[in-house]
Amino acid sequence: MAELSVINAQIFYDRTVEAIRDVSLTVAPGEIVCLLGANGAGKSTLLKAISGIMGPERGLLTKGSLNFGGVSLAGMASEQIVRAGISQVPEGRRLFVDLTVEENILMGGFTLPAAERGQRLAEIYQIFPDLVPHRTRVAGYLSGGQQQMVAIGRALMARPKLLMLDEPSLGLAPKIVATIFETIAVLRKAEGLSILLVEQNARIALEVSDKGYVLERGRVVFDGDARTLLDSPEIQEFYLGMDRSDDRKSFRDLKHYRRRKRWLS
Amino acid sequence: MSYFLNLVFAGLAVGALYGLLAMGYAIIFKVSRVVNFAQGEIMMLIAYMAYSVALRTDGSALLVVLAVLVSSVAVGFLIERFVVRPMLGQPVFSLVMMTIALAILIRSVAALIWGNYPYRFPGAETVQPFVIAGVYIQPLQMVLLAVYGAICVAVWAFLRFNIVGIAMRATASDATVSMLMGVSVTRLYRTAWVVSALIAGIAGILFANINHIGPDMAHIGIRAFPATILGGLDSVIGSAVAGLIIGVVESLTGGYVAATYKEIAGFVVILFVLMIRPYGLFGQRNIERV
Ligand SMILES: Nc1ncnc2c1ncn2[C@@H]1O[C@H](COP(=O)(O)OP(=O)(O)OP(=O)(O)O)[C@@H](O)[C@H]1O
Ligand SMILES: [Mg+2]
Repeated sequence: MAELSVINAQIFYDRTVEAIRDVSLTVAPGEIVCLLGANGAGKSTLLKAISGIMGPERGLLTKGSLNFGGVSLAGMASEQIVRAGISQVPEGRRLFVDLTVEENILMGGFTLPAAERGQRLAEIYQIFPDLVPHRTRVAGYLSGGQQQMVAIGRALMARPKLLMLDEPSLGLAPKIVATIFETIAVLRKAEGLSILLVEQNARIALEVSDKGYVLERGRVVFDGDARTLLDSPEIQEFYLGMDRSDDRKSFRDLKHYRRRKRWLS
Repeated sequence: MSYFLNLVFAGLAVGALYGLLAMGYAIIFKVSRVVNFAQGEIMMLIAYMAYSVALRTDGSALLVVLAVLVSSVAVGFLIERFVVRPMLGQPVFSLVMMTIALAILIRSVAALIWGNYPYRFPGAETVQPFVIAGVYIQPLQMVLLAVYGAICVAVWAFLRFNIVGIAMRATASDATVSMLMGVSVTRLYRTAWVVSALIAGIAGILFANINHIGPDMAHIGIRAFPATILGGLDSVIGSAVAGLIIGVVESLTGGYVAATYKEIAGFVVILFVLMIRPYGLFGQRNIERV
């Protein structure tokens, strides 16, 4: 089984904007690891770098290394990374909105041999039976929760060893978020997956995770096992909103995105 | 009445050619947002290559068909490799300019090799047209319409059921996520260029046999362009259907108004259609939700 290890990574956009600085993290086989942090912390950047899709945005790994199962991902094309066993559910779901649900899921299996695609599709429908009645519908017209299931199903099609999810709770009602996280926990067991989970919804993410890292302005500021993080005063204050005192310190930085995203579960 | 029907049929026969070329525009635009202004020139080039083969083989139909297939694939492949790929990562506009340069290059090279005058295609038979309901029909025009229909169905099925075809539509919708699914965008571009050259080549050889082969074939590319716009630029089947519409409109304008207005009729049509439907008749309207 393959382990993801990011060692001292530094990532620049356009050779000028430093989005990730000296970040190290590991995701061991079968582990769920969450990556927390406010807007602009660099969470998505790291996932894009791991998936090898920095090119279109002119991003570059300038230092450090990204390894999966002992192999460096740095020089690999995105399609080789998918074949190596890493799939991603991108931020905001990013479905192919004018394709049907089934075509979206099939696209996730692009790298599979044609003969296996049908069987894997049936397995995905077993994981998400609610999608079956919608299979011929245009994906863009589904509800947010349904779209998230399609996005996860699409990523699972490739039979990944490591699944990376970028803010799966984004814009969804609490009840649906809960369902999605249950599914994530079940999938880890059923599919033998490792999961790297990016979230702003700290509590619910830490509850399903084994380990967590907190990213702030491109650096890891805390890390530890999920329990420790849930109990730590800093996390409680800044990420779980448990301290109701008026002293909001770096919460001010976070204010702008409370309009867009829900912070507390 | 039979005058009208003759015009409509002539329009359909020309429109099928426009439709085929328009499909080529749409396929490339769909995956890469690039308008390939060399489409007509590519058609001409492949037809000329097949012409050279026909000259040396006494117009053997089998060898001509083979020559079309081989040279289309080669031309599509080479253009992708030496024009498109070096431009990856550059603004789309630069590549569009490159296709204009390519068009001029092909025209000049073809003029050097094959000269400036039209020829009759060797082996093209001069059979009597047959008449149905007062409409004069050349057998090859029927072949053209049948081939047009077959290519439409084949391309439609490819885009609907084949994983590479679905990947083309997916890439049109979100290229980065398509990469995330393991699609090699480079390989997809190559497929698009080869398929569009192949369709252009087939259109070219049919045109050359029905009419003649000559440098004026390159202009059909520009005449077919309104069809792609009318069809919605990224709608392949829409472009094919719009080709027929443009062909018929041109033919009717030529027959009832004046032959000189024929060439601009297509552009007048798109002007009006785009005022009402800016995304074309069959183009993808953006789905806005969540
Ligand atoms: N394409 C880009 N070009 C230049 N800078 C970028 C680009 N994408 C992101 N950045 C910058 O990199 C930093 C990290 O962005 P990133 O999207 O990784 O943050 P994030 O943690 O995912 O935030 P969010 O919670 O808002 O999704 C930010 O400062 C952002 O402005
Ligand atoms: Mg993000």
